[in-house]
Amino acid sequence: MEQMEAGLPEFPRGTEDWSTAARVAALCAEFRPDVEEEQVADEAGSCYNCRYRRWSVDSITCCKRQRPG
Amino acid sequence: MRILVSIDDTDDLESRGTGELASLIAADLETNGWGKSSFVTRHQLLVHPDIPYTSHNSAMCFSAEIYADALDEVIAHASSFLARESAAGSDPGLCVAAIDGLAAPDEIIAFGRRAKESVMTKEEAYAAARRLGVHLSEHGGTGQGVIGALAGAGLRLGGNDGRLKGSIPLGPPGGVVSVADLSRREDVDAVRAFDGRPLDGNEMVRVGEKVKTVMLEGKAVLLVTAAAAADGPAWQTCPRQQLKRY
Repeated sequence: MEQMEAGLPEFPRGTEDWSTAARVAALCAEFRPDVEEEQVADEAGSCYNCRYRRWSVDSITCCKRQRPG
Repeated sequence: MRILVSIDDTDDLESRGTGELASLIAADLETNGWGKSSFVTRHQLLVHPDIPYTSHNSAMCFSAEIYADALDEVIAHASSFLARESAAGSDPGLCVAAIDGLAAPDEIIAFGRRAKESVMTKEEAYAAARRLGVHLSEHGGTGQGVIGALAGAGLRLGGNDGRLKGSIPLGPPGGVVSVADLSRREDVDAVRAFDGRPLDGNEMVRVGEKVKTVMLEGKAVLLVTAAAAADGPAWQTCPRQQLKRY
């Protein structure tokens, strides 16, 4: 969580840390919900439900934070 | 004739989702009088560093019952639709499979399963499509989406993969409904416990948020899990995160 809050792109808590993903999303100005069929978290506001997350084998990456500027 | 229409790699981070495009093609099929479309399913494919994908690598598929002489029109329409509506920079692929005359249904199902476990190539997808006699085409970019499109059709045909697009409107969370009433709905073919057990019609289920069905044995199945609360109904609808693996 701290890494994503600090602006680094990778979520360090894996693919099923639901509470942390919701906490990070609540603090994120870039959060935007993905389409319904791609949402997996019960919390509407969750990094796991964000349009700008990209799933990897072990976690998700924030594509917004990857962008320069 | 029964067909499967499957698409993949049509979107980018800002565009409409592939699921919405699948729904639009399904609706167009009916509007044009070519037949009747069924629900759209979402199929998760392998997430791997060697596979290019936007954010989740999933394919979308629907089945339809069409007039036999409409097949070419359906393919032409879906092809031009994808070329026109897919996001710039995406790599859309389209598979249209006529199920009734499919030479080797097991092979397309096996292709779908392999695409969940290993990195596949376009060449493998096209070779399989030729052997099977199914339509497979690319409509922009690298055309990499043909792999997911063929895999999506295989997984849908297998009948034991994926979540249905959309949620089941059961009213506000906290309501209670019987298994019998759930089973009578047009959008629910069966109700089962998460471990697969069928339930008696008189058992009661507490409704949660965003209730979704998954595809099992070719049916839209509503999965329920033991209720968290000691009082009240014995069952509750599965939370979304519990359905993540479908």
